[in-house]
Amino acid sequence: MSTTAAAIFNRPTPAKRAETVVFWLLRLATYFVLFCAAFIFIDIGWKGGSVVFRTQAPFLNVPFLTEAPETLNVFTLDGQPRTMGDRAFRAFKATHEAELKGVRIETYVYSAGGIFPNIVGTVLLVAGSVLIALVLGVLSAIYLSEYATDGPFIRFLRLAIINLAGVPSIVFGLFGFGLFVIALDFGVSLLAGWLTMAFMVLPIIITASEEALKAVPRGYREGSLALGATKFQAITTNVLPYALPGILTSSVLSIARVAGETAPIMFTAAFVVRDELPWQVAKWTDFFFQGVMALPYHIYVVASKIPQNEYTRDVQYGTAFVFLFTVAAIAMTAVILRQRLRKRYKW
Amino acid sequence: MLRVPIAMPVVVETTPSVRLPTRVALLRKRRGWFFGLSGDQFVKYVFQGNAMVSIIVLGLITFTIFKDAVGFLPMNHANLVVYRVAGLEYVDLYRSQVTAHSAISRYLASVRSHQLDILTKQEGLAPAAAMARLAGFDQFANSFADTINEQETLLGTMTDLVTAVKERQKVAEDLVEAKRNLLAARRGATAERAAALQKEVDAITPEVIDFKAEIQPLRALKPDLTKANATQVAAMKALVAVPPKFSDPELNRQMAKFQGFVAGYFTEMETTAQKMAAWDQNRPIGWWESFTAYAFGREWVTASFWQDWYGVIPLLTGSLLISFIALLIALPLGVAAAVYVNQVARPAEQKFIKPYIEFISAIPSVVLGFFGIAMLGETLRRLSQWPALDWVPGFPMAERLNATTAACLLALMAIPTIFSLAEDAINNVPRSFKEASLALGATRLQTTLRIIVPAALSGIMAAILLGFGRVIGETMVVLLCAGNRIQIPDFSAGVGVIFQPVHTMTGIIAQEMGEVVRNSIHYRALFMVGVVLFLISLLINWLAQKIVRRYRIVAT
Repeated sequence: MSTTAAAIFNRPTPAKRAETVVFWLLRLATYFVLFCAAFIFIDIGWKGGSVVFRTQAPFLNVPFLTEAPETLNVFTLDGQPRTMGDRAFRAFKATHEAELKGVRIETYVYSAGGIFPNIVGTVLLVAGSVLIALVLGVLSAIYLSEYATDGPFIRFLRLAIINLAGVPSIVFGLFGFGLFVIALDFGVSLLAGWLTMAFMVLPIIITASEEALKAVPRGYREGSLALGATKFQAITTNVLPYALPGILTSSVLSIARVAGETAPIMFTAAFVVRDELPWQVAKWTDFFFQGVMALPYHIYVVASKIPQNEYTRDVQYGTAFVFLFTVAAIAMTAVILRQRLRKRYKW
Repeated sequence: MLRVPIAMPVVVETTPSVRLPTRVALLRKRRGWFFGLSGDQFVKYVFQGNAMVSIIVLGLITFTIFKDAVGFLPMNHANLVVYRVAGLEYVDLYRSQVTAHSAISRYLASVRSHQLDILTKQEGLAPAAAMARLAGFDQFANSFADTINEQETLLGTMTDLVTAVKERQKVAEDLVEAKRNLLAARRGATAERAAALQKEVDAITPEVIDFKAEIQPLRALKPDLTKANATQVAAMKALVAVPPKFSDPELNRQMAKFQGFVAGYFTEMETTAQKMAAWDQNRPIGWWESFTAYAFGREWVTASFWQDWYGVIPLLTGSLLISFIALLIALPLGVAAAVYVNQVARPAEQKFIKPYIEFISAIPSVVLGFFGIAMLGETLRRLSQWPALDWVPGFPMAERLNATTAACLLALMAIPTIFSLAEDAINNVPRSFKEASLALGATRLQTTLRIIVPAALSGIMAAILLGFGRVIGETMVVLLCAGNRIQIPDFSAGVGVIFQPVHTMTGIIAQEMGEVVRNSIHYRALFMVGVVLFLISLLINWLAQKIVRRYRIVAT
């Protein structure tokens, strides 16, 4: 190689140098975003993990996951600082009436016990709303992908779906409150929460299911029709089974979305505190018309509605940990499932 | 379904025994199963009906929100009418004069603290000695503050008078409401019960307040007001004539400014007197005013003993300010990440980063909000107290929770939206564009910046718009981290405005909805805020689609 050529090929031109610099800036920006997200996970994982996990067997803070939130009582007895949940304190008080006289007792709401009713409530809310949304959404998607022919009605329908997807969640909350809680008189109830959240994720499920249905090759339908099947038979036997994995993946993603929302359930389904568990109802119909405690609302309450101190910190981080990592696990499942699916089904 | 021409239905009943030709029999329409529909058609309508749910829900949302919001206008109108006829407006005119005076007193206090600073820090005096030096000034400031006493007493009297009238009006309104409820209950009741209810209704006699007469005591105070003004002017003029002297030129400049304020106060006094004279209790309030009081109202005051104001501007500016900051952060990062992943990253990197960023969108907003309260707010404030960063406007932050704290977290929520859509848009740029550019000898950077990004610009714009939609509609993060001070951010602070606490439209709904009385004016005002949010979201969607459709580049 001649020297000129070496000079040309080895020395980066100004344009090349600019390219390297800009690409590094882009890389930095990208990794900065990843770092920020990771930092949140690590912070909550670290501080919350120390609440939820234990160093000794069974390695889990079982009471935290299986008990209801309680008020924490803090007092000093015989020079010894003590912290007690409300129930334990009442039992203690019954036996130590005399000693407790004149002892200053500080109380901190929700700082003892666990978050079991909240977990149950969230699971119920998510299960119900996803079920409703799946039925409505998949049937809508079948219509859009299999039956619909372009026309003003379909265009209007698509417009409605797109706009529904853009409506802020708090407006869904207002809508659910105005319609279900007040106009239809459901009260603050599971049913109101289910319907509100189901309508909120409906656009996501419709869009994703339609995509999954459209991905099934035309030949599958045509083959079935050519053999004399009705359209409905063709759909049930030759389209739905192949679209099902895609539909399920999308529904997993919508579970993450529903579980993570707080604004729509604030006035439709969530109670700050409730003593009974959801299955402790007098009549089975009452089940649908009861409010529940929910994890996201509990985080909101313990993070902003009660005075902050070192005792509330544990329950805050613990709840945030359980909630964040549950939702993250669901979302992770969806992401992994989708990638696998893309690899497996390639028509 | 076989799409074949269908023969006219054959009337079977008349010729039951005749065997039809095979062709006709095969093509004959099957008898309906449900309401004259064939099975397949029925299934189709079931699906179609299901698809209609989206339209119905959108319609229901519109209907529900607007239904409750529309009632706000007449209620706010009544609210404003009472404000005028009960004389609250009149008293507020006078109040502004008193407030102006106390602002001057506050200015004097700030001058004093400045002077104390100079004395203790520059001249090295002990606090006690410095105080002694300031005794003359203190006396001056005190006697200046005392000049307002008479007016304040009068203002108190006037306030008591009109609040009493307003209170009676409110009681009367409640009685009318109760009467209406009883009458409504009577309609479906038995005759006996109806008679009892009628008796109750008759027993209620809401007071009809003659505002013209009630306003008289207020009017009667007028000579007192004039007299008080005259004595105050005399007292202030006497005071200002002999101001305390300073050696420091800066302080003298401040005192000159003070003289200017006093002169301004005198003119304000006159205009106030004129306004109060011109004030007309019976001037009608138009319906339009009821709307503008909401749409352009600069105050959101609720549950106040004096007067409630429902102006959306403080909330709207708060929401917009936060969204603006959030987009300012999210936009470069989101687009940079999209460009990087699509154009620069290796396949392995792509495979990792794309799902990761998608995954970020699954972080629940309430957890982000909690993180803001527990961690980010404090961290940012510590950072702002660092002396090396004093040159940044607004540093050190006054509040831990402010617009920027919320915006940082919102940016993290908007990045996945912007990233995915922008990445899609870049991906959709025809390959030939890139190849042509590279073939002409452009570097990859030149190709990216001059060819690919401009070609994908419409998609990127749509991504930004939808990111904006995501940010302005977000509730929990702003509710927890924005500081929740209902006030128009003070834009005179320059860039430092981004570190002020604000309140937002979404936040106010979430915060106050749980506590309002159903169907009250406050309740309806919150629905009005919901309407604004809803309309904004529709507008953003419409714009985004328009942009995408208009500027789409199709490879030919």
